Amino acid sequence: MSSNIYRHEFRARLGSVLIWSLGLAFLIVFFFSLFPVFADQAALMNEFLARYPQQLRAAFGLDNMDLASVLGFYSFILLFAELCLAIQAGNYGFGLVSIEEAELTADFLLSKPVSRTRVLTSKLLAALTSLAVTDLVVWVSTLAAIFLFREGREFDRPTLLLLLVSLVIFQLFFLSVGLVISLLVRRVRSVTPYSLGLGFGAYALSAFSGVFGEVALELITPFKHLDPAYIVRHAAYDTPLVLLNVAVTLVSLAVSYWLYVRRDIPAVS
Amino acid sequence: MNIFIHELKSNLKSLLIWGVIVVVLIVMAVSKFSAFAGDPELLGMLDSMPPGLLEALNMRAFNLTTLSGFYGVMFIYFGLMGAIAAAMWGSGIISKEERDKTVEFSLVLPVTRGRVVTAKALAALVNCGAFVLITWAGSLVAVRSYNPDQAFYSFLALEMQAMLAIELIFLALGLLLGCAMKQYKLSGSIAVGIILVTYFVSIASVMQENLDFLKYFTPFRYFDAGELFRNGRMDGTYLLLSAAIIVVCVVGAYMAYGRRDLYI
Repeated sequence: MSSNIYRHEFRARLGSVLIWSLGLAFLIVFFFSLFPVFADQAALMNEFLARYPQQLRAAFGLDNMDLASVLGFYSFILLFAELCLAIQAGNYGFGLVSIEEAELTADFLLSKPVSRTRVLTSKLLAALTSLAVTDLVVWVSTLAAIFLFREGREFDRPTLLLLLVSLVIFQLFFLSVGLVISLLVRRVRSVTPYSLGLGFGAYALSAFSGVFGEVALELITPFKHLDPAYIVRHAAYDTPLVLLNVAVTLVSLAVSYWLYVRRDIPAVS
Repeated sequence: MNIFIHELKSNLKSLLIWGVIVVVLIVMAVSKFSAFAGDPELLGMLDSMPPGLLEALNMRAFNLTTLSGFYGVMFIYFGLMGAIAAAMWGSGIISKEERDKTVEFSLVLPVTRGRVVTAKALAALVNCGAFVLITWAGSLVAVRSYNPDQAFYSFLALEMQAMLAIELIFLALGLLLGCAMKQYKLSGSIAVGIILVTYFVSIASVMQENLDFLKYFTPFRYFDAGELFRNGRMDGTYLLLSAAIIVVCVVGAYMAYGRRDLYI
């Protein structure tokens, strides 16, 4: 790892990290502040729902959503936080090396006496640090929100830990998939359309598979690999899907290294 | 005219990609609609759910067992996709010149900056229109097997007009950002921020009644599919509000671009 590259990359992202973190903290605290009112309504609904057949509830993904409980409600708003995290991680992944080519600084960087592997490792570590900072803020604001607004309702602490850790796996997926896609295409002109497409695409897919109970969609979208509702209900990960998710991440990373070392970099003319 | 045609050509690929995505979404969703078309038990369950939750799931006021109700639920996804596409086109079509270092070239052409913006805005507008038409045509083809009645067709037409209105708002916003932001990178990021914030605000505003006033701040609430379905037309107040936003943004964009310092 080259500490110069690492420091430069981390600093370049500092503003973005700050904005995303503050936005996420606000989102979580604000939505969770609605919990006390919502919980009473949801308790009524649970009674209603119990009268309907299980298959029907499953079709709407309602049988594993208990909005009257702390973690049930948290897993509901976590979906929105995940959407933000996906776009942020996607941004960093898509932009990690493609930004050098777009801004015509790639040949400058690669003429430094540092191997490409080391360049990529330093950049990846800087991006990981940025994501970790965001995670820290999300964790702290989650704990703050829960202790402020739970109104004496109990919740399962190990499950909350599982939920919070799942965010890291989730981010890594979008970071590495973004990176490998940016290396597979010939040129990334602008990062945002790609990361928005990936983030919102995965989000819409998971929303549909929730409403319509489709099985096959679960395999494609990370929102289902680490479905908060599933984690809360079973107090465990859906192991095969999480393994699939991690495998995709690792393969993307390996392929990224392979591609980047061999990449043809256009020089500035 | 040359700029207009050039921009149309260079945005064609992006339009095609968005078109494919929306058609895939429609086909996937409609094929699943068959699972609960005309299921009375489901209807009973939907009736018993509290409005807050249904709103959060975008399912209020709809009889999901009919095609119209189902399309009402789909509307938020059309609106969301239209908003993202339009904001990206609007901000990108201006700021890409600086990103690709071609801005000096296009601004030394013997045309005023105002005309450059006009040509680019029109090209983006054509893209937005085409995107709505693709969505519309895709829907018509996808629902054929259900033999929908006339009421569905007019509701679909109304939804597509609302989608176009949402697109226009975000297109104007994107144009303003592209013209006003000194750094080209900022315009895209701020557009993302606005889309995310307005989407979350629209969810929050329906989750609790005393946050209802927030609906004036998010275009996703201006054209509520439930209201469209009940009233059969778009709400005049919100149409005026949308028109005002669009006019302010477009005027702002022209003013900002006319006197802006280029980022080279």
